[in-house]
Amino acid sequence: MLLDIEIDAKDHVDAAGVARPVLRELKLALARGEAGAVLGPSGCGKTTLLRIIAGLDRNFTGRVALPAHGRLGMVFQEPRLLPWRNVEDNIKIAAPHASAEEIAALLEAFGLAGHARHFPGRLSLGLARRAALARALAIKPDLLLLDEPLVSLDAAMALSLRERIARLIDETHVTTLLVTHDLSEAIALADRIFVLSKPPARVLATLEVATPRRLMTEEARRELTQKAQAALAHGDLI
Amino acid sequence: MIRLASFASILLLWAMLAQFSDSRHLPGPLPVLELIYSEARSGELFLALGATLARVAAAFLIAMGLGSALGYLMGRSRTIDEILDPWLVVLLNIPALVVIVLAYIWAGLNEAAAVGAVALNKLPGAMVLAREGARAQDPSLDEMAQVFRLSPQARLRHVVLPQLAPYLAASARSGLALVWKIVLIVELLGRPNGVGFKINLAFQLFDLRLLFAYALPFVAIMLAVEVFLAQPLERHVSRWRLDAPRHRD
Repeated sequence: MLLDIEIDAKDHVDAAGVARPVLRELKLALARGEAGAVLGPSGCGKTTLLRIIAGLDRNFTGRVALPAHGRLGMVFQEPRLLPWRNVEDNIKIAAPHASAEEIAALLEAFGLAGHARHFPGRLSLGLARRAALARALAIKPDLLLLDEPLVSLDAAMALSLRERIARLIDETHVTTLLVTHDLSEAIALADRIFVLSKPPARVLATLEVATPRRLMTEEARRELTQKAQAALAHGDLI
Repeated sequence: MIRLASFASILLLWAMLAQFSDSRHLPGPLPVLELIYSEARSGELFLALGATLARVAAAFLIAMGLGSALGYLMGRSRTIDEILDPWLVVLLNIPALVVIVLAYIWAGLNEAAAVGAVALNKLPGAMVLAREGARAQDPSLDEMAQVFRLSPQARLRHVVLPQLAPYLAASARSGLALVWKIVLIVELLGRPNGVGFKINLAFQLFDLRLLFAYALPFVAIMLAVEVFLAQPLERHVSRWRLDAPRHRD
C-alpha cells in the first residue's frame, strides 16, 4: 500500500473552545498507481482529511502511512499560485529540479504554453487550476492530492479538465487521491470510491470501479451511482 | 508636469520673498547658487556631502537590516514578540536627542557613536512596520510552501519577501527621510565634518547663504534617490499587480 490511513479521531475546536467531531474511525488505503476518490457531502471533513494526509494538520489521533521521503503534489481548492511570479516561475520554484524541457512539456500538455509569462492574476480560475495541476506534477509526485479539482468551473471547462485529469491518470499512473462532493466526477476519475458519511465522517462504503475512466460504460456508471446512493441513504438512517 | 510646475512655484515664491526682505534673513536663489558653485569648486561641498551621505547610508542599512529582521521575527513568533515588545515601546518613545547625547557621553565623540545613535532612532520604526508585514503574510501560501517543501532560501525569496515588500518600501522611505535629519543633528553636536557641521558654522556666523548652500544640495540628492532609485524599484517589484501605480508626469 502506498497510502494507508487510520484516523481514530479528529475534532475542530471553535473559538469558544467547544470541540466538534469531524472525523471518526476513518480508514482508507490506496495501492501504487491507483486513483481514489473521497466522496462526501459538503462540510463533511474531506478537506480536513487531505490536510492531514499532506501533513498540514497534525492535531489528530491515528496514523497516516506514506512512503518515506515520498514527494507530495497538491492542488488546493484555490490555486494558491504565487501572484508575484509568472506561471512558468511558479512551477520552477516548486520543482527546482525539473528541466526546462519537462516544464515546457507540462505547460504544453495543460494548454498553458501561451501563458507561461503571465502573472496568475491575469488567469481565469480554470487556467489557474491547470497551472496549479502542472506545478503539482512537475515535482514528479509519489502521491497527487486534488481538493475538489473541478469545483466552481463552468460546465464545459469542468468537463474538459476532467478529461485531462483522466488522461493524465491513465498515462502516468500517478497515485492520486481526490476529494469531491460530485458522484459523477468520482465515477469518471477513480479506480476506487470511498463514500463518506455526514460528520463525524467515516467511510460508509468502498466502491471498486472495475471499468475506470476510458473503459467506463453506461451500465457500470448506473450501477455505481445506485450503490453510492444506497450507501449514502443507509448512512442517513444510522 | 504638474509636479514640475509645483516645484517651479516654490522657487518663484522664494525669489519673490527674497526680493522684499533683507538678504541676511532670506538670501535669494541666485546668491545661494553662486555660493554652491564656489563651494563645489573648492571641494568643500563634496567633502561635507560625502561625509553626511556615508553616515546616512551606514545608519540606514544597520537600522533597516536589524529592525526588519527583528520585526519579522516578532510578527511570526508570539514569544519573541512578548520579549521584545517592551524594548520596542521604550525605544519608540525615547527622544532622538536623548539617545544622541547618551551615545556621545558613553561611547565618546566618535563615528561609531554617531552612526549607532542614528540607527537606534530608526530601528523601532523599521521593527513596527516589518512586524505588521509579517502578521499580514498569507497563511495559505505558507501551507503551499510547506507541502511543496520549498527550501528556506526559496521561501524567503519567493514567498516572504514579496509579501513584505510594500512594508519594507514604506519603512525605507520614511526611514531615509528620518535618518538624514537625525544625521544632521549628530553632526551638529559632535562631528568635525559633514552638512550638519557646516550648518552649525552657518548658525554661529548667522550666514543663511551658507546654510542654504549646504542644505539644498543634500535635499536634491535625497530627492534624486527617491525618484531614480526608490520609485523605479517599487514599480519593478509591483509590476505583477494589474492596478500598479502608473507612470505619472
